[in-house]
This record gives sequence, structure tokens and C-alpha cells, in this order.
Amino acid sequence: MTRRSVLTAALVLIVGALAPAILAAADPAGVINNLGNRALEVLGKNVPPAQRVARFHELFREDFDVPGIARFVLGRYWKTATTEQQEEFVRLFEDYIAIVYSSQLAAYSGETLKVTGSRADQEGAIVASEIIRPSGAPPVKVEWRLTDQHGTYKIRDVAVDGISMAVTQRSEFASVIQRNGGQVQGLIAMLRDKTAGPAGR
Amino acid sequence: MNLRPQSLVLSKLLLLLVLILPGCAAREGNSQLGAAEAEDFNDPFEDTNRGIFDFNQVVDRNVLVPVAKAYRTVLPDPVRDSLRDFLHNLRAPLNFVNDTLQGDFVRAGRTFARFTLNSTLGVGGLFDVAGRWGQLPYHEQDLGVTFGVWGIPEGPYLVVPVLGPSDPRDLVGQVGEGFGDPWNILVSGNPWTLYWIPYVRGGVSGIDQRSRYIETLADIERTSLDYYATIRSLYRQRRAALVRGERENLPPPASFSRNDGPVASVAATNRASQRKLISEAPNVSEVSR
Repeated sequence: MTRRSVLTAALVLIVGALAPAILAAADPAGVINNLGNRALEVLGKNVPPAQRVARFHELFREDFDVPGIARFVLGRYWKTATTEQQEEFVRLFEDYIAIVYSSQLAAYSGETLKVTGSRADQEGAIVASEIIRPSGAPPVKVEWRLTDQHGTYKIRDVAVDGISMAVTQRSEFASVIQRNGGQVQGLIAMLRDKTAGPAGR
Repeated sequence: MNLRPQSLVLSKLLLLLVLILPGCAAREGNSQLGAAEAEDFNDPFEDTNRGIFDFNQVVDRNVLVPVAKAYRTVLPDPVRDSLRDFLHNLRAPLNFVNDTLQGDFVRAGRTFARFTLNSTLGVGGLFDVAGRWGQLPYHEQDLGVTFGVWGIPEGPYLVVPVLGPSDPRDLVGQVGEGFGDPWNILVSGNPWTLYWIPYVRGGVSGIDQRSRYIETLADIERTSLDYYATIRSLYRQRRAALVRGERENLPPPASFSRNDGPVASVAATNRASQRKLISEAPNVSEVSR
């Protein structure tokens, strides 16, 4: 174990211990600040891919409304799926998201997330933030949509430069299902294939 | 992808495409589900579009990406930055006109100030002094966005050979800009000596843009289940966001409270119709319940 990974591990432990306390305070901006700190510190280039995916899994489960997002991205096909299909889909979706976004986050080393504001919304809150790039390039605008679940804020959607990740995912999944004769099973099969293997392909 | 036609010839070619493409057979959505889906994707020419998309992928892999990589390797960072700043500065007149046409006079003023500063102190636009020291960052406004702000709908999604994702509104916008760009008009009077300039400009700015997204697009292609559908969604959402402007980044909440129906935010093409959608959206139960 290198010196750096010892430090990283220590950091994960400390942040992990602090996180629930911060979350209990549960203001939406705090959730995002907290997530930003953890994500950008732990998901950098120096973390091996498998560990990054595992870590992302944790972040996703803790801070995101995974069942709500899974249901949203399946759209109208949620109702046509059987209970078993729904359950398997939620599980595969979580794995899939972890692979997709942890690989994207790997490229974001050196950047910092700055919360620029938040406002209440009919379902919870919207937190505006910017990813500040060390190169001096214009910051990337990221907006977080959170739902208020009994006093705890969970992330429902992330919009990058006005592009909603949930809407994008739903559109893609709908297209896959449609091209598989309207069968949810077709999407599930593709997700199984994509999430198989050590850290995805 | 997202190349700008800088010549009148290219513009005419695009105009032809606008006229031809709607003539292609639309895919029928016979079931109710299919109809709702078609509206969501806004892609009646999907089969044709996918064909062109596949062709573009071949061109991208074999020509654009290798050239973009070479561009990034051969030219040092400062040279590429200067080239980009120069190309941005050339777009200033178009940005200014679009700012004005959108009624955003404050931004038009900033664009004008940028152009003045960068063309003089910035040595003809080679150095973005206004952005670096003048708190006047570059922003881009094109005619397609202006049409959107005016309330003109986007029309069906289109994939244009080599140029990539588009729609009739953006295509007409690009053709209009090709005709209206003062630099193009300036060189069109010298057909035998300067006619090649717009081509070079278009080519270089295309390669420059492609070189910024090599890793991002490769990553999206690698991880997505349906790359075509992902790009379609990203393009349409991005254009819709530009039309909404800086005022509001996320789609209206209405689209998130309904999980059975076309995505309201994507269907909306301008602020006015969005407001309408919010007020019309029925109180469907939340997704999580």
C-alpha cells in the first residue's frame, strides 16, 4: 500500500464518519457540498477503477433516490414490467450508473465543485453549482434536483449545462426497449451484458 | 460534429438537404405506445437518421478523430488557445447580431466590447484579453437559438452527413449565418483569391471543436447502450437549454412529476410553450409514490 492510498483510505474513513452528521443537518446545499467533497477527493485518477466503481456505488446509494430514479428512467415501461423485472432492473441500473459515471468522474481530477445557490422546489430543492476547472476554462454549470424524503434530501436528477441526466437515460432506455419490440426484458439483457465483468467495458 | 458551414456553396448544399430530408419516408407508430414514444424522440426519420449517423461514425473514426488527435498533439497548448480565441473573435459579429435579435442588449454590448478589445489589444483576436482580464467571457449565440427564442419550433430531429445532429430550425439558422457572416460576404467579392478562406475556417473550427470532446464522446459511446439515442437526447436537451438561456437550467418540474407521457421539457422548444406546459400539466402523482 502506497503512502498516497493510505492517506486516501484515512480520508475516506474520516469523511465517512462525518458524513451522517452533516446529512442529519440536511440542508440541500450541504448535501451537495458534502457529496462534491467526497466525490472529487475519492474518485480521482489515482484510484483504481474497481475501487472507484465500488466507492461510487456507496455515494449513489447514500445520496441519491435510487428507486425513484430507476422508476423515472424506465418511464412508462415501469408499469408493463413484472415485479421481478422491476427488482432486477433497479439492481442492474445501479451497477450500470456506477460504471458510467465513475468512468466519467475519473477524467475530472483537479476540479472542484462550488455550490452557488439553492432554492426550494415543489418536490424539494434545486441546488446550483459549478465545476471549477484548474485550466481556467469556463466553469461547467451543474444543477441538482433533490427530493425531500422525511427531512432527508436525496438527489433525484443532475443537469449539466442544462442537460438532465435522468431525461437522457430515460430517452436511451426507451429507445432500447422500443428496438427490442417493446420488451423490458431486452433492456435488462443489455444491462446484464454491460455490467458483467470487473469494471464494465 | 457541429461544424459550421462557412461557405455559400456549403450553405446551398444544406438548404437542399432541408428540402430533401422531410421527403424521406417517416416511420409509422401504429400502437398508442409507439405514437407517444415518437413524440418523445421527435425523430420521424429515425431509420434514415440512423443510417447517416452510422456513416458519420465511420467518417468520425477514420478521419475526424485522427485529425483532431494530430491537431492536439502537433500544436502546443498556447497555439491552439490562440487559434480558438481567433476563431471565437471571428464569430463576434454573428454573436452580436444574434444577441440583438434575441433582445439581449446587455449581452450584445458585452460582445461588442469583447470584439473591440480583442481585435485591438488582443492582436486581431489572437489573445482573449477581454475574457482573461476584462471579466467578459466568450459566449456563443447562433441563429438557431434566436429562432427558438422567437418561438419557432425545432422541427424533427435530423442527422446531417458529416456535420452531425441538427434539426430544420438549426439547419436554416446555419444556412442564414453562412449567407450573413460579414467575413463570408467580404471574401465572396474575391472569388479567385480568397474563396478558400471560409472552407479553411470551417475545417479548422470543426477540428478544434472535435478535439475538445475526444475523450468525452469516446466514453459516452463506450458506456451507452444506444449511442445514437443518447446523442439525440443530449443534442435536443442542449439546444433547448440554450433557447431557455441562463434564466433556468433545469427543465420545468412538471416533467419530473410524470413518468408516463412524453417528456414535457424536451417537447418544449421555447420559454412560452414551456410556461404553457407547466400550467397544463395535470397533477399526476409523484414518481416515487
